[in-house]
Amino acid sequence: MLLLLIWLFPLVGGVLLWAFGPQLRSWAGPIGSALIGVPFVAAVMLWGDATTGAGLNLHLVSWLSGWAFGLQLDRLSLVWTLIITGVGFLIHVYSMGYMDGDRAYARFFAYMNFFVFAMLTLVLSDNVVGLLVGWGLVGLASYFLIGFWFERPSAVAAARKAFVMNVVGDVGIMFAVFIIVAKVGSIGYADIFARFATAFTQQELFLVCLGLFIGCAAKSAQIPLHTWLPDAMEGPTPVSALIHAATMVTAGVYLIARFAPLWSASADAQELVGVIGALTAIAGAILGCAQWDIKRILAYSTMSQIGYMIMGVGVGAYDAGVFHFLTHAFFKAQLFLGAGIVIHALANEQDVRRMGGLWRRLPFAFIAMAVGVLAICGIPGFSGYFSKDAVIYGALVTGHPWLYAVGVITAGITAYYMFRLLFVTFLGAYRGEVDPSDLGIRHPELAGTAASSGHHPEEEEPHHHAPSWLMSVPVGILIVPSILIGWLDAGGANAPWQRFFAGFFPRVAEVAPPLGELASTGLVLTVVAIGIGVAYVRYGTRAAHADAVARLRGETIHMPRALVNAYYFDAAYDALLVRPARAVGAWFVRVFDPHVLDAAVREVAISAQWLGHLFRSFQTGLVRAYALSLAFGVACVVAYYAFAFGVGR
Amino acid sequence: MIVFWILALVLIASAVFTVTAQKPVYSVVGLLANFIALAAMYLTLQAEFLAVMQIVVYSGAILILFVFVIALLSSGTRPFEVGPDKAPRILIPALAIAVLTLAGLTVTALHTPITVVSTATTNGTTGDANAFGSVANFGAALFTTNLLPFEVTAFILMVAVIGVVLIAGDATPGAVEGRRKKRRPGVREPIVKALRQAQDDNG
Amino acid sequence: MTVSPESYVALSAVLFFIGVVGVIARRNPLIMLMSIELLFNAANLALVAYARAWVNNTGHVFAFLVITVAAAEAAIGLAIVTMTFRRSAHVDVDEVSALRG
Repeated sequence: MLLLLIWLFPLVGGVLLWAFGPQLRSWAGPIGSALIGVPFVAAVMLWGDATTGAGLNLHLVSWLSGWAFGLQLDRLSLVWTLIITGVGFLIHVYSMGYMDGDRAYARFFAYMNFFVFAMLTLVLSDNVVGLLVGWGLVGLASYFLIGFWFERPSAVAAARKAFVMNVVGDVGIMFAVFIIVAKVGSIGYADIFARFATAFTQQELFLVCLGLFIGCAAKSAQIPLHTWLPDAMEGPTPVSALIHAATMVTAGVYLIARFAPLWSASADAQELVGVIGALTAIAGAILGCAQWDIKRILAYSTMSQIGYMIMGVGVGAYDAGVFHFLTHAFFKAQLFLGAGIVIHALANEQDVRRMGGLWRRLPFAFIAMAVGVLAICGIPGFSGYFSKDAVIYGALVTGHPWLYAVGVITAGITAYYMFRLLFVTFLGAYRGEVDPSDLGIRHPELAGTAASSGHHPEEEEPHHHAPSWLMSVPVGILIVPSILIGWLDAGGANAPWQRFFAGFFPRVAEVAPPLGELASTGLVLTVVAIGIGVAYVRYGTRAAHADAVARLRGETIHMPRALVNAYYFDAAYDALLVRPARAVGAWFVRVFDPHVLDAAVREVAISAQWLGHLFRSFQTGLVRAYALSLAFGVACVVAYYAFAFGVGR
Repeated sequence: MIVFWILALVLIASAVFTVTAQKPVYSVVGLLANFIALAAMYLTLQAEFLAVMQIVVYSGAILILFVFVIALLSSGTRPFEVGPDKAPRILIPALAIAVLTLAGLTVTALHTPITVVSTATTNGTTGDANAFGSVANFGAALFTTNLLPFEVTAFILMVAVIGVVLIAGDATPGAVEGRRKKRRPGVREPIVKALRQAQDDNG
Repeated sequence: MTVSPESYVALSAVLFFIGVVGVIARRNPLIMLMSIELLFNAANLALVAYARAWVNNTGHVFAFLVITVAAAEAAIGLAIVTMTFRRSAHVDVDEVSALRG
């Protein structure tokens, strides 16, 4: 029952706020938050049931044989449920401050509750079809929220892009489900894991994994389906925090972890996932260095961190990947919410070049961001240190030295761009009054900023906000787990995290690593320190602050085009898919439609007209002509009888 | 045998005359001859009752109807006139089709051998009350085995009577529905006038 | 029955032929109607001939019904003719061409 409550409360909230939003007015926020908070408490209460054995099962409805729908709360689902409802609750509270005064205040909370419901459907379902439904609903919620400010054309375009990319992934999962249903004959996870070894050939297994991974890649912004995530920052910042950093984009990690038995059985699939994850991690990190929009930097860092997670679950270090999800959910939400405070305070300015020196004006945001940055960089003691290290070392332990190398390098790049963000935003002098062209901001859309389009439609006059306590408190709460949650995995095999997931995931064959764990940590930390050092030299020194304007200008101008254009992925999609599609469409408009379809219709009409003319000519109106045709009919009958009974005999 | 050929000749000749006559009245005369010859032909086929009906219904009723209509249309102001021929070459296909039909019918008839049953073995001889074709024999067939067609025919006749009343009863449109419109002059008056004139001529 | 029924039927066919030509070729509606009567009679002749040949008076009955229907047809046809040619200058079926498409 509590499980049902966890699942349905957000739905109730979504429907309620959607239907009665205008009447509820400012009550929409508290109600929406409460309907997420209660499931969180319920999930905590279910901790004991969920962590014993196979967890909690709740059968809902059976359709055909093998098509039983139900809810399942096991250890993996529990982690996600707690994050979704817990972090979701904090972000809801934060949104009450952030969205205050927005015209569509209630609609925002309706969407957010709907998103939480969709996400819970995804993680609580005990079968692949329920998972797919949740998967699709999550994409829909994401579409709603990215396009929340639908008066902005850029938001609408971003929402559409995200939705289309997600649908690509949905189709991939759909095909995987098709194969599963055809071969296993059941949609329940338990049946699938019990029977897949005999039901699938190795090729089929790889195809299933591939289909699932296409879904993961689309939802979790993995190369090459990642281009929607930076654009998704068009949505309100709490949305970016909740959906596009903490929960939804990690659904791919959940999916792979959920189907860990399948992945463990298919080495090819593991290899693919690991490589794609590593590639995404380093590509996202490099792109993060080239961005000036605070939210886009965080978006690329999200992409990069999810690359880590995917790499982790891909190589078989499932608990490490899931642990990185856990820590990332906290510190990335915190980073986004801190960025939200900054953006809110600067009246929707998102370009870091026009910030600077904010630590004096927004000390709380500075602390929050700093903690987040330290966590994401993996500074010892902060949560990211434990999880990221586990992932990177996991790659080495499972015998993927190249992925390990990529992970280590990415850690350094991550440190560089995150500290760059921190230095440029909070240190030095405030550059908001500097003429944008002096900073090299010529074409905001090319430079990747949303500064010009960052205004809320309803805020005609930009004015500065002080962060309200509704925004500060959630961020303050998030600081605690951002630092401390990592300690769950401290202590080797005896760590709470290891015991929590003991025996849950299939073990992967381990190789003797060429490096010890301590040596590896040392290597990573060295690389991270180098990254921080470079960032400090470039942005953090007194000299750098002195001529920050000129430096930023020069850097903007000399930024490699490939990075500014995000490796030309969008251009490639444009050239490979959009333009050919348009060309085909144009061809259809120019040739096919007028000369084939319309022509067919026209020919039918002309034929009908011609036939009409033909038959009209029979309608002479002459009685004698009618008599003649009657006589002809008689003659025909007579001729038949003459041949049948006369001549024919 | 002789009788058949004579009657056949009369039938064909009168039919041709009917069809080719210039004036309808001549046609009526030809048709009368045709009907009488046909009645005689029925007699040779032992269809006595039908022969009588042929004379009574056709010659007595239908032909009189034709004569009345001819009188109605041709007496008075307008003589018969024939407008321009709108299908001058229709005779060619008409003849072709008719010849084909004729050929087909004849061929079929001649190729279908019919075994003639003698009436003597069934029911008495001609003239008997119950002989084949007699009134009693015919009536029994009409009212027992073929009662339903008979009833249907009665219904058809009734419909025909109602139809005639509707078509020719009142020339004013809408009169049937009970809506009296202003009578249009020239629709009925010439006929009435013509009838009066005919009465005057006779009187 | 000294004359074969085939002869009767052939005669009937000839009469039918004359009637068909009359219906199609003549433009006077009255003569057309009379030609139709000829057609009826031709059919009747065949019916009666076969009735005699097989000694089955159903043929008689149907000939009788045909006569009845012919009477009805004549009544209706003549009513239409009167109606139509009350207003027209010509007594000509070609004038009645309201059905022309």
